[in-house]
Amino acid sequence: MLRLRAVFEKTGRAKYISHLDLNRCMLRTFRRSKLPVWYTEGFNPHPYYSFALALSLGFESSCEIMDFNITDDNMPFDEIRDKLNAVMPEGMRIISVAEQVKKITAITKAEYSFSLVSENITEVYDALIELLAMPEILIEKKTKKGIKTVDIMPDLEIVSYKLNGSSIDMIVRLPAGTQTNYNPNLFIDSLKNICQTPFETVKITRKAILCENNEKFF
Amino acid sequence: MNLREKIEKHLLDVQKPSRYIGGEVGSVIKDKSEVDVRFAFCFPDTYDIGMSHLGMKILYSLKNERKNYWCERCFAPSPDFEEIMRKNDIPLYALESLDPIKDFDFIGFTMQYELSYTTVLNMLDLAGIPIFAKDRTPELTQIVVAGGPCVCNPEPLADFFDLFILGEGEELNLELMDLYNEMKKQGASRIEFLKRASHIEGIYVPQFYKFSYKENGTIDKMEVLENTPKKIKKRIIRDFDKVYYPENFVVPFTEIVHDRISVEVLRGCIRGCRFCQAGFIYRPFREKSPETICSETKCLCENTGYDEVSLASLSTSDHSKIDEMLTELINYTEKEKVNLSLPSLRVDNFSESLLEKIKKIRKSGLTFAAEGGTQRLRDVINKNVTEEEIMNTCKIAFEGGYSTVKLYFMMGLPTETDEDIIGIAELAQRIVDLFYSIENRPKGKGVQISISCATFVPKPFTPFQFEPQDTKKEIERKQKLLLESVKTKKIKVSYHDSNVSLLEAVLAKGDRRLCNVIYTAWKKGCKFDSWSEHYKFDTWLEAFAECGVDPAFYANRRFEYDEILPWEHLDYLVTKEFFIRENKTAHKSATTPNCRLRCSGCGVNKATGRECFCYD
Repeated sequence: MLRLRAVFEKTGRAKYISHLDLNRCMLRTFRRSKLPVWYTEGFNPHPYYSFALALSLGFESSCEIMDFNITDDNMPFDEIRDKLNAVMPEGMRIISVAEQVKKITAITKAEYSFSLVSENITEVYDALIELLAMPEILIEKKTKKGIKTVDIMPDLEIVSYKLNGSSIDMIVRLPAGTQTNYNPNLFIDSLKNICQTPFETVKITRKAILCENNEKFF
Repeated sequence: MNLREKIEKHLLDVQKPSRYIGGEVGSVIKDKSEVDVRFAFCFPDTYDIGMSHLGMKILYSLKNERKNYWCERCFAPSPDFEEIMRKNDIPLYALESLDPIKDFDFIGFTMQYELSYTTVLNMLDLAGIPIFAKDRTPELTQIVVAGGPCVCNPEPLADFFDLFILGEGEELNLELMDLYNEMKKQGASRIEFLKRASHIEGIYVPQFYKFSYKENGTIDKMEVLENTPKKIKKRIIRDFDKVYYPENFVVPFTEIVHDRISVEVLRGCIRGCRFCQAGFIYRPFREKSPETICSETKCLCENTGYDEVSLASLSTSDHSKIDEMLTELINYTEKEKVNLSLPSLRVDNFSESLLEKIKKIRKSGLTFAAEGGTQRLRDVINKNVTEEEIMNTCKIAFEGGYSTVKLYFMMGLPTETDEDIIGIAELAQRIVDLFYSIENRPKGKGVQISISCATFVPKPFTPFQFEPQDTKKEIERKQKLLLESVKTKKIKVSYHDSNVSLLEAVLAKGDRRLCNVIYTAWKKGCKFDSWSEHYKFDTWLEAFAECGVDPAFYANRRFEYDEILPWEHLDYLVTKEFFIRENKTAHKSATTPNCRLRCSGCGVNKATGRECFCYD
């Protein structure tokens, strides 16, 4: 049995597929592909597959990760990729298929890019500078035990931000994985709270999944 | 900003956005410049409901097989998105091209239930299409059409539609589009097209017919204004085994109500239950061969990736080769790990080995549509289910580990007395007693019987079309009586809102004078009437009052045998004489055998020119 890891894109209209719906979508994709995927052996056998990280509804991504197993040990990876891509919905595309190397628990961070758009972009820019200079950024996070206030500043890594016409293009890194997950919207909402001018966030995209020392997960 | 950008700007502010943007696997995209006729197939309810509809899947694929025709889907937006659409000038659009449907050649609605009528008006309005047919452009475009079971009495909708498609659409839709394509190229006008279309068998153009009424409110006469048929005949498919069936379905991202493959195994029904419209309007009875059913199942499973399939029909167990068909199907579904669900199945006469196999796959509960509480009433409605059969099947089920049973009944049936209502509770009680009398019943579990009680709605083209519906007061009294007759918590009772059933009866049996009522109700904010949270009965009553229409005239009045019925000019192949005969037989509490045992002369064989069954 091959233990495989697929990296796939979720772009365009596919960003409106929720995580729950993505599960169903992949199940049907596997069945359409007729690949010899490994089925669970329980009372209700179904193809086994799992996603490393959930992606928020509305986010695009170039680096989603799905693990699954194939019962044919000799099947070339490219063939598996092509067979899946032939039956994928619009906006979803497998970039590569390889054997699983790292453990899912090695994931610690994810990198996101997005743009802030406003008619008064310089005001938004000033607010951003102000926010980044603050000693802490407190956000309210919903957990299973209720609402918790956390400071995301220590974990927030600003890779870049650039004023570009009427928008600010940003790249940030935030904790992700089995331990802590911060949604970039938490950061954007903090900016909204201190910014007098309304702005829109467009094209939030997950660009990379990282381990300790910013090493790429795959 | 183009329409797609406008839509996407707001999509993350609404529930389940994938319903509004298309892009599903199996959806058909074409190059507009290579398309001659565009058809927007509209379902007057939300995506989750509409995407479950089998008829749409069939006609969608059928039309799209033609290279130069493009059929797209369109659903009613949920109120959250509708608000955004209205505020931001987003017209109702089709999901494939994301183009506004007002620019399409055909805007076609499927009318599945009466309570969707106001939603049709709302969708036309959202699309920017004039609500009334008379207000539409004289040019040949934007033809608003409807089909489906409700158009067997289309009169309450007559003012809103350019034409109705009666009966089965597989051939008719293409013929209609072919005619349109030809006439469009010739530069014909809307009215010229409608005149020619009215000569296609199965097409009814309501504006060519005029009704006048007597002083007592009943129909005096119907005039034919154009050189069009006096009686419009529904269309049927003659060779049902060879009829077009899609090789692929659009596979939604979000979960829909009926999220599985449907394979149609037969059309029509041999049973003749006297309240059931479907049992008559889909005649004659025709079935597909086991080979066709299996190959269609296999093809759809492979193309869609669904792992669940359900057999669609009015009564699957009436298929003459049910044993062979299920054996073959189960062989395939077991091998491919596909779930097979078998709704409406009678298990009486299956072979031992098949029964074993079915037991394995039937995980769902046990349901009986007994409909009437006493044998006398079941004879009146011609529901040929005996208490002995119910008890026998329950016994087998209880011994096999089941402990819940669901029973469907109707209330307010013709000739019904209090004894029949109390009989419902008594029947349920006897099933409870049966459970505790069985020694090897499921251990550690109590029995649970759910009674679901609908209100009888008289429908056109049934033997009960003449019957009045019980008044609201009477229904509520009977509901109370039923609740009082149930003595144990092991029996749960639920029933329908009688206000909903009243409107259903009015719209089902109504005539053209209701068009104005529907329009007024919609203007006052009625839509999604079948959703209890959106149903505004008081607003409907206001609309009736404003239009000077008495709902009781349609719902609670007995229609006389010699009265001109609002749907009398439509020919659904079963004759009025037969319905009168059956109505009289019902009032004598006598039954009529099913079509396979004996032909009862409903008229279908005369219309098709051949016997439905071979009687030796």
